[in-house]
Amino acid sequence: MRAKATKALLMVPVLLYTAFSAGPYLWTAMMSLRTTDEIYKNHYGLPVPPHFWKFVTAWTEFGYATYFKNSAIVTVTAVAIITVVGAMAGYGFARRRFAFPWREPLFLMLFLSIMFPPQIMILSLFQILIKYGLFNTLAGLIVVYVATELPVTIYLLRAFFAQIPQELEEAARIDGCTDWSMFWRVMFPIARPAVATTMILNFIYFWNEFLYAVVFITKQEIRTLPLAIQFLVSDQYFDIGMLATGLMIATLPVLVMYLFLSEWFVKGMTAGAVKG
Amino acid sequence: MRIGPPETIPKVTATVGDVRAAVPRARRPWGAIGLFLGPALFFYFAFIIYPVLVTFYNSVHTLRMDLGMTYEFVGFQHFNEILSADDVFWRAARNSMTWAVVAPIVDIPLALVLAFILHGKVPFARFFRTVWFTPLLMSYPVVGVIWLWVYNYDWGMANLVLRAVGLGEYAQAWLASPTTALPALILVTTWMFAGFNMVVMLAAIHAIPMEYLEAARVDGAGPWHRLFHIVVPLLRPTMVNLAILDFIGKMKQFALVWVMTRGGPMWGTETVATYVIKRAFEWKTLDLGYPSAIAVLWFVIIFGLSVGLTRFLQRREALEF
Repeated sequence: MRAKATKALLMVPVLLYTAFSAGPYLWTAMMSLRTTDEIYKNHYGLPVPPHFWKFVTAWTEFGYATYFKNSAIVTVTAVAIITVVGAMAGYGFARRRFAFPWREPLFLMLFLSIMFPPQIMILSLFQILIKYGLFNTLAGLIVVYVATELPVTIYLLRAFFAQIPQELEEAARIDGCTDWSMFWRVMFPIARPAVATTMILNFIYFWNEFLYAVVFITKQEIRTLPLAIQFLVSDQYFDIGMLATGLMIATLPVLVMYLFLSEWFVKGMTAGAVKG
Repeated sequence: MRIGPPETIPKVTATVGDVRAAVPRARRPWGAIGLFLGPALFFYFAFIIYPVLVTFYNSVHTLRMDLGMTYEFVGFQHFNEILSADDVFWRAARNSMTWAVVAPIVDIPLALVLAFILHGKVPFARFFRTVWFTPLLMSYPVVGVIWLWVYNYDWGMANLVLRAVGLGEYAQAWLASPTTALPALILVTTWMFAGFNMVVMLAAIHAIPMEYLEAARVDGAGPWHRLFHIVVPLLRPTMVNLAILDFIGKMKQFALVWVMTRGGPMWGTETVATYVIKRAFEWKTLDLGYPSAIAVLWFVIIFGLSVGLTRFLQRREALEF
């Protein structure tokens, strides 16, 4: 009896925190289905009837199709590149066979750069991108994204590759595997869980990244979603309803995936926490 | 010194590999090494190490963007000016530091209590965990806009709740006053990160042998006793790690400020990160040298503090659970 009362009592802070945690987003979700006029009459009304057409309007008339496409191009390309480059490097840093004199200090340096604040690179990256014609291009943004997330990606994958037993490598070598085919046919498939973790981590980071986008992108037609939202806040300050719809468009892809793969997301985000 | 991950298994295999690999030492597979490490090292040196060095170089020059990036050597003049005459920098540094110190003090205990409650077999624990983690998956601009609305004076959720519980006289324009704006922003990062910290601590609590908690229960220790005398001491390493991560993350805070307040009102939420960007691209000084010097200064402080705190608190690996 007492245990039951305690449990009920425990639910009070749990529900309070849940209201705090989910409230603002649910409120935004409701506003995304209401017109701005309806919202100004009552900010907390239910979306009855729901105006799903607002998503179409935002997509076609307010440029979200373009911004979404830009974000998708940057995110998918950067994730693909960093996964291949990072996995190869993680493997190269992990295995005994590839040891060379300066490898461990090099890895330590790579590890320490996980903690670098972006400000220490961003102004000179600005100069460098201008110099090589990469300023104001999605390609430039992709290159910067890959470079800045590489250290943490290599760090996580190296830890995984280091755990694969030596015997497996030797068996594959006896079967005639070269280093290259060994990596792609044996090691990379084994590392799939770790690779998936870093892919999710990097996907979320790239999809949401803001600082580099603000500095390196000034043309409207190549804005990514986070950048576009920052501009739309000032442009349509009073059109709350449409802005709420835009916020949903920017977050729903990630949240829907999270719904199905929540364990993977949690794993990926916590693994990436080394970054700080 | 080795800061790599302390996996136990690879150490064993590594020694085994050592013995075998020791024989044909002469033939290193340089081709394969270049193939596997080459692309990553290209990205790393071209877009991280080289820019860092350039920033250091820029910090002792003035670098006029309007004059075709012409360099003029000025020595430590920028550093002198930052430390002795730049009030905005000191204000920004104080704000960043406040954020970095207050956030862990709020986030970590809150997350600990939430994790302990969820551990206590609350129904739908998985559901709550999933919901609380969600804010971390949104970008800062999205979070920023949502919270601009939450803090709206007339119809925002914050004032709505205050009025509903009879504290209406405290309702105010939270982001309009220099004294309340920074705490308001700190609360937003708590909203984002408490769930994440909770998840990590929950995993750490699950790793505590059940016998410890059972034995304490049998001995008549109440939940608070179990929390403070068993869970907290055993979770200390995890909490220290999370606190350091939180600290470093807040020292770098840029995006939320940029979207919500732009550093205002009256420098009340200016952070070092936003000040660097403002000095580089918004103020009409058109000099990249001065903001580079701020960046170098802040880099040295962050890096020194993170390495120092890490070693001081004997954090051997980032997160272990």
